[in-house]
Amino acid sequence: MKLCQMSPTDFRRQLAGQGVWLRTGPFSLRVQSRLPRVAEGLAELYGQFEVRNPRLTFADFHIEVNPPGVLRRWFRPQVNFSFDGELPFKPLPLDQAYPMLEWGLNWCVSMHAHQYLIIHAAVVEKNGLAAILPAPPGSGKSTLTAGLVLSGWRLLSDELTLIDRKTGWIQPLPRPVSLKNESIPLIRAFSPQAFINRESHDTAKGTVAHMRPPKESVRRQHEPARPGWVIFPKWEAAAATTLTPRSKAQTFMFLAQNAFNYSHLGADGFRVGTTLIEQTECYDFHYSRLDQAIAAFDRLAATMKPSAIT
Amino acid sequence: MARFQIKCFEDEAVIFDTASGDTHYLKPLTLALYQTSHESPVLTSAEIAQALAQRLSLAVTPQFSLLVDEALTSLRQIGLMETP
Repeated sequence: MKLCQMSPTDFRRQLAGQGVWLRTGPFSLRVQSRLPRVAEGLAELYGQFEVRNPRLTFADFHIEVNPPGVLRRWFRPQVNFSFDGELPFKPLPLDQAYPMLEWGLNWCVSMHAHQYLIIHAAVVEKNGLAAILPAPPGSGKSTLTAGLVLSGWRLLSDELTLIDRKTGWIQPLPRPVSLKNESIPLIRAFSPQAFINRESHDTAKGTVAHMRPPKESVRRQHEPARPGWVIFPKWEAAAATTLTPRSKAQTFMFLAQNAFNYSHLGADGFRVGTTLIEQTECYDFHYSRLDQAIAAFDRLAATMKPSAIT
Repeated sequence: MARFQIKCFEDEAVIFDTASGDTHYLKPLTLALYQTSHESPVLTSAEIAQALAQRLSLAVTPQFSLLVDEALTSLRQIGLMETP
């Protein structure tokens, strides 16, 4: 059963009570919240995701997003994220309840899913090959990811690249795409059909909102993809669209430094990471116009097919 | 298992030290120096510089010798070469 097939009343009652069981990629969650804006966010963004009876089904992560106490309900209301009854973060303003759920879920995966080498990078797929997009904040990674998945690329993840340590392939985790600041109106203008939820203001990242993942990406969320490229996007005003080969060794070093669990995995993290780099093409990518950037990615996807890679 | 795991990418390399858990990047000159010193482990620093210059078709200038000394120091700090 999909979440969108639950009646809104049942969904809100279950979320506020025993919690809702959700599957996202390889992980199952049990989410409990009494907050209407969390219910609203989940209903708007996770409609295509599988739900089950929470009493009968194991969940990897037990999560609650609720106000911290009675006083804070009235005075500068806040929200807490709890994982297995623990509070890993300080409370945030109530307006940030939904983003806090998403950030908390990222934390759950990055801290616990050590069957993967987890890199802080977006990842999208076309023609059977995945493009990993690592980049520091402000590089235009999320905007490019949103633009690509609204243009026929499959969303594997906008934040966490999960590399299966056994196969070396990318495990999808197609959750909502986090958009920040100027990228929110830009994506609204780029694709008026895209659903973007309400904005949360004055967060640590500025104004944030989340875009609903494409239905097809959610439908194929258990279908891993072969790594094809590691591409470092960089948005620059008036920049020409350029794709330049970059050092594989330096790309590996960047990925190792930006992996959540590379140190934890030791020699196996090195093996998985170097194998990934060995079988991918590595590029720096500069762009200023989203349509041109997407066209460049489409050309790249058209020139390299999985069968061409050994 | 060997202490160091090395993966070369063209003329560069990355190295994982299983003892410390550290990962290192070797730029082209440092990798060439490492390979030269491993092929002839009894050479002195000056002889390594000479062999490396021949390998890379370069002249042994003072600047080249300085670069070689710096690369040798970094390899010794990593533990890839023993301190004489």
